[in-house]
Amino acid sequence: MKKQPAAPAPPPQLAQRRPSQGSPAPKAQEGVILFTVGGYKFAIAAGAVKEIRGMEGLHPFTLGGISARVGKLKYTLERDGITYFVVDASVHFHLTRSTPARVLVLRNLSTAVLVDSTDRMTAISALHALPRAFTGDEREWYRGLALLGGEVVPVVNPAAFLSKDDQEILSAGLERVRGVAAG
Amino acid sequence: MNEGQEKSYVLFPMGEKRFALPAEVVAELARPDHLQTFPHRTPLLAGVLVRRGRIVPVCDVAQVLLGPNAPPRKFFLIAKCQAGERQDWTAVPVTGECELANLEPAHPVDGAPAYVTGSVTAGAENVVVVDLEKLISMEAPR
Repeated sequence: MKKQPAAPAPPPQLAQRRPSQGSPAPKAQEGVILFTVGGYKFAIAAGAVKEIRGMEGLHPFTLGGISARVGKLKYTLERDGITYFVVDASVHFHLTRSTPARVLVLRNLSTAVLVDSTDRMTAISALHALPRAFTGDEREWYRGLALLGGEVVPVVNPAAFLSKDDQEILSAGLERVRGVAAG
Repeated sequence: MNEGQEKSYVLFPMGEKRFALPAEVVAELARPDHLQTFPHRTPLLAGVLVRRGRIVPVCDVAQVLLGPNAPPRKFFLIAKCQAGERQDWTAVPVTGECELANLEPAHPVDGAPAYVTGSVTAGAENVVVVDLEKLISMEAPR
């Protein structure tokens, strides 16, 4: 049986903190990786990313009705004995155009994320709360907003790419398929 | 029925109509600025502006007030919106210059939309006073 990654633990620094509304979180540097999807720039805590890799080694994900239910899940990736569910970030963010070329393998989660490109690593000193006027799914998608040279960049919440429910359904489905294959 | 006491209002244009906000909720009128966008799922929100170090959401209420064929917006009226226990700034794109006026408020007419809290008369023009929080919570007509 393939092993699953350990239970999620918060990445270091500001990583899992959500800022209080209005004022940015206290000054503390946090390393982030900038990436793009569908022409939009995003940031993710560097501590939340285990590896950045190309598209090689991805296996198309087909698991009956589950594939349709978790439509943003496109591939799986076997890495160091762990099965990662690869989420298409453009579907996650409801973007219509994207040209995925890179995979962010997330740390402490069984999730990897398909993105168009990775840009660079940088540091942010403040995480601004998402204004309360935003009331949709983005409240879950983003930990907050960073200002990078006057540009507003959403800082993604790594745990939001696949909900716990989705992960449980997927893991159970995968185990079932492997059980059938082994039997 | 008039309430008999003048109050300050900011009258803002949306196409050929004008609407009013109580002046105390208006923070500033900003020139067209760099609207920044990122993926989200909240109706009416067009993106954010950075003003004086703050990230200000931009709520395009013209879609509710005028429908999808609203003319181009030229300025941003930045107002204070109550969000829970806090006041947040929200930018509302408007189609022209605003006017500050002391006017006597009147109750809204029967059947007015929920976001209308009253009306004021500026010269021969009757201008409805809107509640920005209620307006923002409206869905844009499809």
